[in-house]
Amino acid sequence: MPRTAPKDAIAETQALTLLVFGLAGETFALPVTTIHEVIDPLPVTPVPNAAPHAPGLINVRGIVTPMLDVRLRLRMPPAATAEATRFIVLELLVSGIRSRIAIEADAVREVVEVDPTRLEPVPELGARWPAAFVRGVARHDDMLVVLLDPDTLFAPDADRPAPNA
Amino acid sequence: MTQMNPAVATFVEEARELIEGLEAQLLDLERDANADAVDSVFRVLHTIKGSGAMFGFTELSRFTHHLEEAFDRVREGRARIDQRLIDLALDARDHMKALLDIGEDGDGAASLATGPQGSGLIARLAALVGSSDTPTIAPDAGQGGTTAASAPERLWQITFRPARNALRNGMRPDLLISELRDLGQLLSCRADVRDVPDLDDLDPLASYLGWTVRLVTAEPRATIEAVFIFADDAELAITEVGVEASRVPADITDPAPPAERLTRQADSVGETIRVPASRLDEIVDQLGELVICHARLEGLADRLGNPDLEALSEEMGRLVGSLREATLAIRMLPIETVFGKFRRVVRDLSAELGKEVTLLTQGGETEIDKNVIDRLTEPLVHMIRNAVDHGIEDGDLRRQRGKPVRGTVQLSASQEGGEVLITISDDGGGLDAAAIRAKAIARGLIGEEATPTDHDLYQLIFAPGFSTAANVTKVSGRGVGMDAVKTAIEALRGTVDLSSQPGKGARFTLRLPVSLAIIDGLLVRLGADTFVIPLAAVEECVELDDVERHRASGRTMMQIRETLVPWLDLDQVFARAPSGMARRRLVVVRCDGLQIGLIVDDIVGQHQTVIKTFSAYHRGVEGLSGATILGDGTVALIIDVASLARRAVAEARIIIEAA
Repeated sequence: MPRTAPKDAIAETQALTLLVFGLAGETFALPVTTIHEVIDPLPVTPVPNAAPHAPGLINVRGIVTPMLDVRLRLRMPPAATAEATRFIVLELLVSGIRSRIAIEADAVREVVEVDPTRLEPVPELGARWPAAFVRGVARHDDMLVVLLDPDTLFAPDADRPAPNA
Repeated sequence: MTQMNPAVATFVEEARELIEGLEAQLLDLERDANADAVDSVFRVLHTIKGSGAMFGFTELSRFTHHLEEAFDRVREGRARIDQRLIDLALDARDHMKALLDIGEDGDGAASLATGPQGSGLIARLAALVGSSDTPTIAPDAGQGGTTAASAPERLWQITFRPARNALRNGMRPDLLISELRDLGQLLSCRADVRDVPDLDDLDPLASYLGWTVRLVTAEPRATIEAVFIFADDAELAITEVGVEASRVPADITDPAPPAERLTRQADSVGETIRVPASRLDEIVDQLGELVICHARLEGLADRLGNPDLEALSEEMGRLVGSLREATLAIRMLPIETVFGKFRRVVRDLSAELGKEVTLLTQGGETEIDKNVIDRLTEPLVHMIRNAVDHGIEDGDLRRQRGKPVRGTVQLSASQEGGEVLITISDDGGGLDAAAIRAKAIARGLIGEEATPTDHDLYQLIFAPGFSTAANVTKVSGRGVGMDAVKTAIEALRGTVDLSSQPGKGARFTLRLPVSLAIIDGLLVRLGADTFVIPLAAVEECVELDDVERHRASGRTMMQIRETLVPWLDLDQVFARAPSGMARRRLVVVRCDGLQIGLIVDDIVGQHQTVIKTFSAYHRGVEGLSGATILGDGTVALIIDVASLARRAVAEARIIIEAA
């Protein structure tokens, strides 16, 4: 690791630990610092009239946790629950409040470390996902890992139309 | 800032309470200036001054000294309680609060203290009561000096022995003794070393010493006691030994009973315990988990059908129920705590507007959850300001209308079942239906041809951005309209209703749940999903077949006995596929004073429910107010009766108008 790195880049150059999971045939990752746990699927209580990206609630050991539909935000088709399906429970700041949320993944693969300096921007062409939700792309063992941005991906109202003034 | 020293935190908390209480005491004094009331104000000021200096709030202590001195002069009959002094004292109290809020001594406190407001207040105080102190002189210089001139000096013996662990708790005997020295002349101070053990057994953090102090002072016993007000884990005896000065009138010397022992421990323990509110919240959270856990046990017992298990579950249910009652009762506070604030609001506002207004309060002992009280203050202040500003007429107009010139705003609270009822009424002019109508048309809230009833017109003041005052005064029209009030009340799962009589006055009625955390719920089923309706809102449940739908008025009203009730099919509200069940049920709920029917597939039962408020993702979803966890672990949604009632009424109206 270069010792001459500018001061404000030191944090950036520390290895980034990621949880890698599969979704609609692609490989995605989230920083492990945001992950609370990975659990088997639970029954989801649908919330009628809710925003489409937050369709339901689950009970994670006594905590009512919103279930978010990441596929919708990443413009992927909906999928049925399968054998390998897991729920990823995250803990992060939502509108300034530390909150738990859960997302569904087709499979949870592994935890890897990547060098953040080798994170590449998303290629202009062929990117199907809205750029705001992606921090970059990393290569790991010949695998292309898309690092999602938890701050934007899980924002409560990212795709709600702005309220009429 | 780093973690606050617990002793300092205790001081801040107690001082805050004292300063809060001071407001009411000053207002009492304004109404009835008796000697006891003056003394009690003086004692509060003295305590804050003394302990403020001890805990590093020097600026607060210095400032308080000037106010204390003013009241000392009143006590001695050298100054009079009048409107100006109360005005000034109230302003000074606000400044003290600011000094306390800004924290221990630092740049902030210093600049606030030396700022124009602080020195201005001190100068005004000096001018008013003729204090000899100039604003810049520190209290140490004047303390004891000016007062000693008139009062007789007496000799006191003070024996003081801190508890073993007092030093660990932050007590500073040296500061206490030095504060005693400030009261007068310290003749002697002897340490009692009998209890000090051998060096081997000595615990350096423990307190083994006691002190006997002989003090000559003109201050009364209460002032000496006040020095020790925060040193409550100690034995304390204050004895008057004799009158030092010879020329003392006999009636003043009436000596206190000799050797009156004052063991504060015995005084305070057993009566009240000070607990941070956050700890109570923790207990309530845990209780919520317990309620959910018991619901699971109940479900299991039902499934297994084992009578022993069922009996156990039932007994546990009773215990959890009474634990719930007891725990929630701890968080209950009399609503008086917030009523007190409003006296000041009305006083200042009526002076500002040049109106004479009296605030009457009633039912202040009614208890309500602290969390509700905290969030209720703002909306209530707004409504009271409205009542004084818009409701109460000018003196001239009142005279013309044959009313007493002095207007009255009445605030009353009472409990009805699981709800607290708060009414704010005034004897002013009432709402101006014509003005509201004109404004509503101008704002496009109603059509020009619409002919709503007066009662419906009044409700329009809750619409966003509505203000009826022709001139926006300094007092109101600051952008927080009645819609904000309504939103705040509804966020507390309460309702607000308004009635008005032209020329006679207006009345707002608030209904609030006694507690926020746990409610009794009615479980209902829609298809495979379970929903919860707050039981407090439920009036009755009927078979849908028994109800005759009133075809003449369209699809959304039905007749139950003599009443025509608008209804909603929850399948439609929640955009669900109809279950197609033949026999469905109607739950009749009451909200905002009207009945509506909610159609469900079935009624499952009654259930204690812990309300989990929605996250940012689901807040504001129509028809739902939160979620809860059922006995089998699934998440059930709680139905928001108030928002459904509005929808039902709106739909019924559309049908009627179309018909």
